[in-house]
Amino acid sequence: MGQTSGHQERSEKPEVAPSKVMEAEIEVQNKKEETKEVKAKNQKLISVFGLADLKNEAIGLYNLGQSCCLNSLLQVFLMNIHFTRILRRITVPPSPAQRRSNVPYQMLLLLEKMQSGKCKAVGPTELACCLSEHRVELFVQHDAAQLFLTLWNLLKKQMKKPELVKELRDLYTICIQEHVACQKCSFEVKSKSTMLTLPLPVLDANSHRLKTLEDCLQYFFHPEELTGQNMCFCQQCGRKTPFLQSMKLVHLPQTLTLHLKRFCFERSSRTHKLSHSLPFPQELDLRQVLAESQCQADDNEKATWHYELFAVVAHSGSASCGHYCAYIRSLTDCKWYCFNDSEVCQVSWDDVKCTYGRSNLYWRETAYLLFYMKKHPQQPWPGLSGCL
Amino acid sequence: MAQWQEVQGLANTYLEQVDQLYAGSALPMAVRQSLAAWIESQNWRQAAEPLCSHARILFHSLLVLLGERVGSLGSDREDLTLKHNLRKAHRELQAEFQEKPERFANLVANLLQEERRILRLGQAGGQEGSVPAPSPALEGGREQQIQRRLAEFHTALQEAERAFRHLEDLQDAFDFCFKVHYRPGEEKNRDPAYLQELQSLQAKLQNLDRQRREVLAQMQQLLGRSETLQELLQQELGGWRTRQQHLCLGGSADTNLRPLETWFTELGQGLFQLRQLLRALGDLRQKVTYARDPLVAETPLLEQRLQEQLTHLLKSAFVVEQQPSTPNAGKRPLVLRTTGKFSTRARLLVRLQDRNHRMEARIHIDRNPPNIKGFRRFNILTSSSKTLLAGDNPQEGLICDFQYLTLKEQKDSRAGKGKGASGEGPLVVTEELHLITFTLAYACCGLELELEATTLPFVIISNNNQFSSAWASILWFNMLSSDPKAQQFFSSPPPAPWPRLAEVLSWQFQSVAERGLSRDNLLMLAKKLLGSKPSPNSTVAWHKFSKDGASGFSFWAWLDGILGLLQEHLKQLWKNGLILGFVSRKQEEKLLKSKRTGTFLLRFSESVLGGVTFTWVEHNETGPPTFHAVEPYTASELVSLALPDIIRDYHMSLEEKNPENPLKFLYPNTARDEAFGPYYSQRLEGNLSESQKYLNRRLIRVSSRPPNRRQTEEELQAATENLETLQLQPRGQGTPGDLGTPLGVPTSPGTPHGVASSPGTLQMVAMSPGTLQVTPEILGTLQGVTASPGTLHVTPGNLGTLQGVAMSPGTVQMVATSPGTPQVTPGNLGTSKVVATSPGTVQMVAMSPGTLQVTPGNLGTPQTLQMVATSPGTLQVTPGNLGTSQTLQMVATSPGTLQVTPGNLGTPQTLQMVATSPGTPQVTPGSLGTLQGVTMSPGTLQVTPGNLGTPQVGTLQPPGLGTLQLQPQSLEPPQVTPGAPNLQGTLQVAPGAVQVLPGGLQVLQVASGDLGTPQGTAELGTLPAELRDLELLPGGQDMQELLQGLQAPSGTLGTLGTLGVAELMPDVVATLEESLEESLEQSFQLSPGSAALLAQHDPFLPQPEDSALPAVPSLFTDLPPLHIDASDFQ
Repeated sequence: MGQTSGHQERSEKPEVAPSKVMEAEIEVQNKKEETKEVKAKNQKLISVFGLADLKNEAIGLYNLGQSCCLNSLLQVFLMNIHFTRILRRITVPPSPAQRRSNVPYQMLLLLEKMQSGKCKAVGPTELACCLSEHRVELFVQHDAAQLFLTLWNLLKKQMKKPELVKELRDLYTICIQEHVACQKCSFEVKSKSTMLTLPLPVLDANSHRLKTLEDCLQYFFHPEELTGQNMCFCQQCGRKTPFLQSMKLVHLPQTLTLHLKRFCFERSSRTHKLSHSLPFPQELDLRQVLAESQCQADDNEKATWHYELFAVVAHSGSASCGHYCAYIRSLTDCKWYCFNDSEVCQVSWDDVKCTYGRSNLYWRETAYLLFYMKKHPQQPWPGLSGCL
Repeated sequence: MAQWQEVQGLANTYLEQVDQLYAGSALPMAVRQSLAAWIESQNWRQAAEPLCSHARILFHSLLVLLGERVGSLGSDREDLTLKHNLRKAHRELQAEFQEKPERFANLVANLLQEERRILRLGQAGGQEGSVPAPSPALEGGREQQIQRRLAEFHTALQEAERAFRHLEDLQDAFDFCFKVHYRPGEEKNRDPAYLQELQSLQAKLQNLDRQRREVLAQMQQLLGRSETLQELLQQELGGWRTRQQHLCLGGSADTNLRPLETWFTELGQGLFQLRQLLRALGDLRQKVTYARDPLVAETPLLEQRLQEQLTHLLKSAFVVEQQPSTPNAGKRPLVLRTTGKFSTRARLLVRLQDRNHRMEARIHIDRNPPNIKGFRRFNILTSSSKTLLAGDNPQEGLICDFQYLTLKEQKDSRAGKGKGASGEGPLVVTEELHLITFTLAYACCGLELELEATTLPFVIISNNNQFSSAWASILWFNMLSSDPKAQQFFSSPPPAPWPRLAEVLSWQFQSVAERGLSRDNLLMLAKKLLGSKPSPNSTVAWHKFSKDGASGFSFWAWLDGILGLLQEHLKQLWKNGLILGFVSRKQEEKLLKSKRTGTFLLRFSESVLGGVTFTWVEHNETGPPTFHAVEPYTASELVSLALPDIIRDYHMSLEEKNPENPLKFLYPNTARDEAFGPYYSQRLEGNLSESQKYLNRRLIRVSSRPPNRRQTEEELQAATENLETLQLQPRGQGTPGDLGTPLGVPTSPGTPHGVASSPGTLQMVAMSPGTLQVTPEILGTLQGVTASPGTLHVTPGNLGTLQGVAMSPGTVQMVATSPGTPQVTPGNLGTSKVVATSPGTVQMVAMSPGTLQVTPGNLGTPQTLQMVATSPGTLQVTPGNLGTSQTLQMVATSPGTLQVTPGNLGTPQTLQMVATSPGTPQVTPGSLGTLQGVTMSPGTLQVTPGNLGTPQVGTLQPPGLGTLQLQPQSLEPPQVTPGAPNLQGTLQVAPGAVQVLPGGLQVLQVASGDLGTPQGTAELGTLPAELRDLELLPGGQDMQELLQGLQAPSGTLGTLGTLGVAELMPDVVATLEESLEESLEQSFQLSPGSAALLAQHDPFLPQPEDSALPAVPSLFTDLPPLHIDASDFQ
């Protein structure tokens, strides 16, 4: 049964976790330089492996025991041909022991097993064992947002080739600029940071429900006043003063991950799931959603901010126990599939719409993670280095 | 469609792929083809699992089936090769897979999967190549989508059940092995055979665990899909609810619940089945469980999810199929009467129940009454609970049908609200919305739920004349509110967007007469309501729609009057587009101007409630064309003569010429008889052999041509050749069923006797003295006309409209014992007696002197009691026990005595007295509500209310000279008692003319000095000094309150302090005698024969130059020489 404890911390973590871990990584990466040779070789490989992935089919993954969360996320990764293109180019670790504990390698093995087995479903046993070596426990209910970050970080860490790491980062990371300005004087601190997901609140400050995904996005980028207890120390004033905190969007990746914070904490510190309806669009144009003041990007960058929904990780049940499934729109045949562990079936947009939620139905599937895909990707994607 | 069939329909390139697939396969295509359906229906993937006995069973079944197939083949040449191939395959398969059937199962499973892949590619490729196909959601529409999903759901459910049975097998096998082989103990652990057993046991457990997880995944998938399905069903149900609301508005919509019922039942069935399966899974867990058993973790979750879905489905499946309506309300549901019966029905769309569980449905009225002051509370008198039964015919479904329900108002429900004080409460009765809630204790397969369904809000009225405004409320609500529980809707009713209102109004016409409103019609209505051309954003306020209307009727009342007229008399003409209907005068002239002389059109009157008129054009040799319009016909006229007949026989009497029919062409250009021919009633000639000895006669309408006047009056003319004729003229002979057995026995002086036993119109005309006796038992319209003195005795048993016209003195006695409209129009009568014992309209018109006596024995709820005395005589009304007579209207147009002595008028809403000629109208109502008296000409209007409970408005309007006497005996709180003389220059308030003499009360004298602040005393100076002697003697009431609200027009009288007897015009002429005579003359020039019942301040009225012409005295009304006695005017 469910691990009721971990939810609270898990859900808060994602906001902090990615940037910290990644900053270190990115710093290392920045020092390295790519040669033209490698690039050319990569292009060729991309085309070869890209072809391989065009035949990918929707194959189920057996539940190993509370692994529905992992299964859903694996499907989201493996159905993303932009990701598998990177995955297929990893270097195989030399020793069997290394191979056993290498997450990217195990993931590639799983992909191969799924696509060549001609089976309805395969068991991700080896990968699960490999993950458990990296403190991702088996037989434990995970929070999908948290697990996504963990998986991604493991992948990045264990991909030895720097160009692959860079591509992986390009594929998933969001660049934002944080502004913190003292309200008393003109003191302002700007800092750039990266995120893997945008953790969107579904309630506003007054606990009123936000109506749509667009509202959530707007609210997320809305400047926040830090007053009272939240006041910050101003170097210029020499005391704690009210600050205005705001975030500006600098760069958006090929795969944009949105995390709907569908939970709230009651006074008893028990987590409570929010099941109210929150529609999300099939096509999302962030240029139209966000105001000019909420962006810090040039027109070329903004021109690519037109997204199409790629996958939805949905959760059914309560905050303490539940089930995850994934709705993924295949990038090859453009059809929606629903992945419930070993069960896979083709569905329609109506089914995906059902994960909008409904306030009086608490046990229904509700969208938790949304993955949007750029409609017109720029090739090659402008590196992150530009904004870091 | 079966997979193999689809595969065969693929394009060649893909078929090649299939061919290649089978070329290298151990399963020949011939076998696949021969046993296609069976192969596809088996779960090969499951059978392919290791250690599964299922694979063996499947393999052997295949061989057996193959053998059968071979045996069934004939001896054709083609069959021969097939037979050979199949035999060969049989042998080979047996040889190859006998020992390892799992491999065979895996092979087949993979083949099928590959087929599906090729199929997908092929179909996708085919679509790309062809014309871009519409998206699957639009293709076939919602209905197909739901059906497809339902089918998919059931297939998936079956698959889950198969998987479950497989799981059962696995568990049984494991359980058995475990019990047999598992012997824990030290010594055993060293036994290699035992260890091997343990290993196999471990493998079996692994397998069992995987199967459990797979079943659970299937169930999750199933629930996910059923969520979507349910969402679609809820959308459909929402659509149905909207359609039902449309239907309640008079729109047309398909409100068949059958498809929804089928879908809901199927989904419900599936979910119950799934519930059963989950329970069985729980049982499996009871038998075998282990660490990290997925059943332990996931079944409770699945159960919760399923429970929520089932509850949601069932709760929404309980719907009100038939909204509350009275049986005869026609297309106007949701208006109920306190005395009437009504019915309503709810249905549970999920047709599933426990046979041995009785489900009881209950109804409650206003379970959560809104917090509105004075909100009436009701009880349901009849039984409010019922057992829900699947009818004898299972097709009927689960319904609870409540019929013959009656409501009774709770006695204390209006505590705090003054009785009959319509203006006091925040909501009037017709804006008070009530709800009935159905509750059902549902139980099925151990699931118990309390289901609830609520009707749309309805209005409860106590009287038929509230029906129209109640319906307006229902229209407004259903047009604008989507929340069916908003009982406070009319606390602040939103305005209606014009386009929406226009649509709804059109539906009203559509539902009454099968023809909606045209664009031009709506344009005219919009202009009338909005004052200008409508824009898409124009809105109409509720008040403007249903209440405002200076002359006494609102826009809706006017429109509903027209609807009533259409329904009763003009249905066919409207339906076939012969009535142009809503045309403004301006537009009308524009239309007719360019047409030839004699072109006419039919339109509805804007000044008369429920009136229709025709206008024709006449081109003179010089000058502009002239337009003539006849005074509007209303239901009371059309009841005796149908409009097409009027048009056919209409004549204009011209000076020096023969009368001729000016109506020649119906606009735009159809010959009159061509247009209306089909609607003329056939003449009676030859029908009764007896009557052949008489000449024909028929009623025609004639107008005399007024010089240069627009509007023309017409009079009823009975053209008879033989005075001794008594003719029976049932109207609408052409329409079958109108009158079943018209039995009329016409005899010359004597006693004609008519008995009509079925509805229709029975018209009896007695031309010579005698006694005319009519006793119809059930009839629609009874018209009795006695033209010469005698006795007209009409005793209808059960009738609709009773109309009696006595032309010459005699006795007209009409006894109406059941509802209807007894109408007596004694032209020239001695004694006319009308006794109505049950509700309806009593209309009495006395044209010549005599005594008109009305004694309704027990008028339950007579809608209108209208008495019109046109010639001097005595008009006496003594209603014995008028329960709640809405309107008692008395009009005396010629001198005489009008005496009203209602014994015990319960709560008559309005008592209106209009005396247009001198006489002594005397009113002594015992205890009545509203008293309105209007004297148009000199005379004495004496009002002595015995016990005026709360006379809301007592208007006394002596426009002519006369004495207005008010003698309330115990005026409790008379709110307003204004008297307004409105005949300029002819009113003289005689010394002591206005006398208010409340008897037995404290004496209070109002002298001139007491007139508060008499502003403008200069004008007052013209008043006779006697006015100051006016005495007010009210009871022990607060004078301030008593006389509040009586204000003279500013600048004329100023404020008459607390004196509120009359609104006096400033320009009152000085001398009494002069003006008396003057006004007498004037009033007689104006009034004989016609009585204006309503003051004409209506916005719908035509412009002044259009005002109606005075009518020409009736041919049959011989006015006696006017004799004016000065004593009459005191």
